[in-house]
Amino acid sequence: MEISFTDKDLEFRNEIRSWIENDYPKHVKEKQDKGEALTKEDITDFHKAIAAKGWMGFNWPTEYGGTGWTSTQIYIFQKEFGLAGCPPILPFGVAMVGPVIYTFGNEEQKKRFLPDILNFNTWWSQGYSEPGSGSDLASLSTKAVKEGDHYIVNGSKTWTTLAQHSDWIFNLVRTETTEKRQEGISFLLIDMKSPGVEVEPIITIDGAHEVNTVFFTDVKVPAENLIGEEGKGWTYAKFLLANERFGIAVVGAEIRQLNKLKEIVSKLNNSDLSRKVKKLEIDLSALEMSGLRMLSDIETKGHPGPESSILKIRGTEIQQRLTELFVEAAGEHALIYPGPKGHEADSQPDGPDYAAKALAKYLNYRKTSIYGGSNEIQKNIIAKMILGL
Amino acid sequence: MDLNFSDEQKMLREEIQKFCMSDYTFEKREEIIKSGEGFDRDVWKLFSELGWLSLPFNEDSGGFGCGPVELSILFEEFGKVLVLEPYLSTVVLSGYIIDNSSFSRRVEFVEAITSGNKHVSLAYIEPNQNFDHADPETSAVNDGNNIIINGKKSLVLNGGNADDLIVWVSYHDKKALILIDKEQTGLSSIEFPTVDGQTCAEISFKDVSVSKDSILAIDEEAEALLNEAINLATLCVSAESIGCMTACYMKTIEYTKGRQQFGQPISKFQVLQHRMVDMFMETEVCKSLLYKAMLECDSKQDTKSKSVSALKYQIGTSGRLVSQEAVQLHGGMGVSDEMLIGHYLKKLVAIDALFGNSDYHLNKY
Repeated sequence: MEISFTDKDLEFRNEIRSWIENDYPKHVKEKQDKGEALTKEDITDFHKAIAAKGWMGFNWPTEYGGTGWTSTQIYIFQKEFGLAGCPPILPFGVAMVGPVIYTFGNEEQKKRFLPDILNFNTWWSQGYSEPGSGSDLASLSTKAVKEGDHYIVNGSKTWTTLAQHSDWIFNLVRTETTEKRQEGISFLLIDMKSPGVEVEPIITIDGAHEVNTVFFTDVKVPAENLIGEEGKGWTYAKFLLANERFGIAVVGAEIRQLNKLKEIVSKLNNSDLSRKVKKLEIDLSALEMSGLRMLSDIETKGHPGPESSILKIRGTEIQQRLTELFVEAAGEHALIYPGPKGHEADSQPDGPDYAAKALAKYLNYRKTSIYGGSNEIQKNIIAKMILGL
Repeated sequence: MDLNFSDEQKMLREEIQKFCMSDYTFEKREEIIKSGEGFDRDVWKLFSELGWLSLPFNEDSGGFGCGPVELSILFEEFGKVLVLEPYLSTVVLSGYIIDNSSFSRRVEFVEAITSGNKHVSLAYIEPNQNFDHADPETSAVNDGNNIIINGKKSLVLNGGNADDLIVWVSYHDKKALILIDKEQTGLSSIEFPTVDGQTCAEISFKDVSVSKDSILAIDEEAEALLNEAINLATLCVSAESIGCMTACYMKTIEYTKGRQQFGQPISKFQVLQHRMVDMFMETEVCKSLLYKAMLECDSKQDTKSKSVSALKYQIGTSGRLVSQEAVQLHGGMGVSDEMLIGHYLKKLVAIDALFGNSDYHLNKY
């Protein structure tokens, strides 16, 4: 057993660190640190910078223009970004649909979509959940009916993150009504500019416009936009989720947040709060180690072990707890909150500057235990797959 | 970075598992407890023959030179079946101190321990203390070539069965660890059972006179030896409690699958399934903290004490949760003394009380 990274890995880490220090767009990092919302331009700026460095395909094989990094390097890369206060890379293109396209797509599709993902020329969204299909995703009812060389798509997708900026959306659609519901699902790419696609904003309780409902009314989608085979969409979706799980093992941003929280709390002379922070620090330390256990399993055995199944639940619990403790530290000053757009206060209220941002993040982060398979669904999966219940 | 056990370590685990599963049944354990001895001398002899008593001792004193990783493996497996034998007090606590001291009869003592012929207990806790034992009231004073010891020690693990004691004393304006034969005049001992089926003793010293050669270490060296031994023992009981927790959730799964109520196995109820998932998750969290602490101790990193505190805090908290849930999900069977499950709860309570409880280590962290 060996807990340290190799010298080669540490050298790699230094390379990432020094690039972030010198070449990462400073205005993005500053906004992120202050907890301010990033604009479309900010998000584009930092993705373009990463793309220009050749690191956008951080999790892709070199064959498709990726970095070809090992799992350990991917881990270090993501952790350093989090530690430095850089916002996470949007997963929808590079981490979600990209690997599905290069694994299951045809040559034409690879040529058409992959370079734009690597250069961040296209924004992608994920079309999974529907108004009537949340945790029970396989019940989805958005229909794609084949007519000649097109599919006609009708239905709606919801909780669609950043769909207001998206050029493309990858969807799970029902192409057939089958006895086993999963078998009638296909994986279809839809151009957001197609006639019949409408995006309706959902404002979340923190006041942010992050998610949307996307409506499809008789949308004509060329059959060449189908990935892989009809009826195999569920398999591709599961493949995508397995890739997604890896990112959760990385705790850079949480460590940065915790250090900030410790600094705030150290000045408050509140021993009860200090103990809560200590408990959280221990939880985070355990989570980090669980992530490393998973990484070690992937590197040496080729697949994650049972410990990885707890990462989503524990990770999101810790993220939420962090936001709660910031609010607790703000005390009564957490009362003032920026109003709806156009009604924001003109000046900074009394109290610590992190107060309003802390509450916004607290409210926003209620989502983490709901998305990506709610934590209750995660427990169902552990009960069935690991405990054999 | 590689968090896999080596082939040798896996073999060691298999060997211990084999013994625990086939030879250390619940009935066997009950017999040992009823004997009032605190442990079984034949089992101890077998541990010696299997080489397990030699694991952590330095090679130059005849041991195998194994570290925290191997000890964690041993204790995790012991925890699964609640082994009673005093490995912790004789081999880990006392063994570590003797083996790493400059004591002239070190090799002889290590040999006597590893051959299974000698038990040594560490006497460092005093009646008026709770978790902080830095300043002992028990004193040793010079008397020619001898030293005279007066005072009282409590909660001496396996103290009733010990042949010798390592006593933590004030020695003029310094501190010292002194090895004392339990047959010495002026030494008296009262034995008590502990909640986990083992025994401990209260030991009084009235003008006990021993040779100055019995001093194992003085001042900083003594303090360091005591702290290191306790650190290692904390790691061991933490690994042991992970064994207990693992057994708790596995046995609970097995029990709920077999228990029929309302026309179906109660394992089918989602509310119970999620509670068993929580038990599993708590165990995994502890395991991650164990790996961190054990590897940091192994490579002697500066952060090791902090990581051991994090671990001990967590196993205290998680251990209680997991074993209480195990009892709850076993229903009435969980509170029956004739069922094994309640004994895990007792063991985990005992472990929390040892070497600083959850609360103490959170403060220290």
